Amino acid sequence: MSGTSAYAIKAVDLGVRYTLRVRRKTTVRTSVANFVLRRPPERFWALRHVSVELSHGESLGVIGPNGAGKSTLLQVLAGIMRPSEGTVDVRGQVSGLLGLGVGFDPELSGVENILLGGAFLGIDDGKVHELLPSIVEFADLGDFIEAPLRTYSSGMRARLGFAIATAVDPDILLLDEVLATGDANFRAKSKARVIELVRAAKGVVLVTHDMEWVQEYCNRALLLEKGRIILEGAPDAVVRLHLERTAEAAEARQAAAIAAGLDPAALAGGRGGGRH
Amino acid sequence: MSSGNAAATIRQSPAGPSSLELLRQGITDIFSRFRLIRYLTAADMKKRGSDTILGNLWWILDPLLQLVVYVIFVSVIANKAAPDYPLFIFAAIVPWKWFSAVVGDASTSVVSQGQLIKQIAFPKIVLPLSTASAGVVGFLWGLVPLGALMLLFPDRISLMLIWFPVVAIVQFVFTLAVAVLVSAANVFFRDLGNALGHALRLWWFLSPGLFSLQGLEKTGFVQHHPIVATLAGMNPFAILFEAYRAVIYGTPDGRVGTTHPPDLVALGYLLLFSLAFLALCITFFKRVEPEFAKVL
Repeated sequence: MSGTSAYAIKAVDLGVRYTLRVRRKTTVRTSVANFVLRRPPERFWALRHVSVELSHGESLGVIGPNGAGKSTLLQVLAGIMRPSEGTVDVRGQVSGLLGLGVGFDPELSGVENILLGGAFLGIDDGKVHELLPSIVEFADLGDFIEAPLRTYSSGMRARLGFAIATAVDPDILLLDEVLATGDANFRAKSKARVIELVRAAKGVVLVTHDMEWVQEYCNRALLLEKGRIILEGAPDAVVRLHLERTAEAAEARQAAAIAAGLDPAALAGGRGGGRH
Repeated sequence: MSSGNAAATIRQSPAGPSSLELLRQGITDIFSRFRLIRYLTAADMKKRGSDTILGNLWWILDPLLQLVVYVIFVSVIANKAAPDYPLFIFAAIVPWKWFSAVVGDASTSVVSQGQLIKQIAFPKIVLPLSTASAGVVGFLWGLVPLGALMLLFPDRISLMLIWFPVVAIVQFVFTLAVAVLVSAANVFFRDLGNALGHALRLWWFLSPGLFSLQGLEKTGFVQHHPIVATLAGMNPFAILFEAYRAVIYGTPDGRVGTTHPPDLVALGYLLLFSLAFLALCITFFKRVEPEFAKVL
C-alpha cells in the first residue's frame, strides 16, 4: 500500500494445498492401500496466488462464497496453518477469533476459560489477571461467568470469545464471522470495539457475509472465489462485483435446473447474498 | 503470538527448518508454556474425577482388579506362581497401568482438540505433555494400593525403596517420548488407536511382568534360541520391571530379604536411549505440527 515499512501483514503469492483427507479420514488401511496401488495423493488448492498487504490502521474485509478459502486465509495469517507456497510476514501481536464459540474447555467456568485462554494465547499470568475484570465486564454474562462453558448458548460463547480475543490489545485482529452472532446489543458493542481497534492504528482482517459492514467500516475489501483473488480494492466496488457474481451464479443454477426439467421455483433465490 | 517475543513473526513456507532447529523450537515451546501445561493437566484431572462415578478411585481399583485376574489365572489355574506372587506381579502391574493409560490418552490428546487447533496458534506439543503429567498424578494414586499390598508382605519392605523414584523417572522419560509420538501419529492415522490397544497388550505379555527374565531363560524354547533372551532383555519394560521388582520384591527366586539396587547400568542405558528417543519424537512432532490444522 503506501510505504514498504509500514505494513502489518504482507503475504506474497500464498498457496495452501491440502494433500491429505480431502474426502475422508486417512487410516493405516487406506494409506497402505494407496501405497500398494500407487495411487497419487489427492490434492486440492484451498488458496493459490493470493497476495495481501495490510497496513496498520487498515480494516480489510474478506468476502466470497462458501468454500472460497476465506477462513483458510485467516488461518494462514494467524499462524495456525503453514502455507504450501509463498511467504507470510506478520509484524506485531496477532489475536484472532476464527470460527465460533468452541471455547477452550466446556467443563470449566467462564473465568477459568479466560485464564486457560490466556495461557493458550501465551499471555503472562499477571497480565491475564489484570485483564480479567475488563473481559468479564465486556462479555457481560452475569452469573453465567461462574458456570461451566457447556451451559452457555452459542451467542454467549461468542461473546466470551470475542471479549478474550480483543482484550489482549492485539496489533492485528483476525475475525471470522464473529459479528453475525450475539444479540443486537452485543453486535453494536463488538462493532464499536472493532472500530476502536482500527482507530488505534491496529490492523483488522475480517471475514464476513455482512456486506453492509464491509461497505461501512472496512477501508478495503477482497473478493475470494475458489481460492483465487477476484478483485481487491474499494469496498463498494468489491461488494458490487460479489453481488453480481452471486446473482449470475444463481441464474446459471436456475437455468441448469430448468434445462434438467426441475421446478425452478424450488431453487429460486438460492444464495442471495446481502441487500443493496 | 506469545507476548514475550511476538514483536515480529516472520514465517516462510515451503522449506521447513532443520531438525536441530525443530528440536530447539520444541524444547522452547515446552519451557515457555509450563503454565498452559499445568492448566491443561488440572482440567484433565478435574474432568476425569467428575465424569466417572468413582473418579480417581479407578486408578486404585483398576490395578487391583487386574491383580485379582492374574493371581487367579497364574496361581490357581496354571499353578506356577512365585512365592508372594501378588507382590511379584503388582510391582509390574502398577507401572504398566501408568504407561498404557498415558499412551492411550495421549493418542487422542491432539485429535480431540481439533477445533481449538483450527482456531488459535499455540504449541501443540503441550497436549501430549499435559496428558503425561496428568498420568503422573494417576500413577501416584496407583501407589496407594501398591503400598497397601506391601504392608501385607512386611518382610519385603526395605530401604531399597529409595531407588523407586529413580526407576520411575526413567520410565517417565520413556513414556513421554511414546506419548509425543502417538499423539502426532494419530492425527494422520485415525485407526492407530485400535492397533495401539493390541500392540500394548502384546507388549505387556512379552514383558517380564507376570514372569521373570530368569524364568524365561530357563524355558526350553529360549535355551534353543538364546537370541530371544537377548531381545527380551533389551525391551525397555524388561529393564524397568526387573528394576521395580528388585527394590520392591527382591530376587526372582522369591527368597525374602533379597531386595537390591536395580541394575543401574541397564537403567542408565535406558535413560540415554529414552532421552535420544524423546528428542527424535519431539523433532518428528514439530515437523508434522504445521499439517495438523489441515488434517483435523
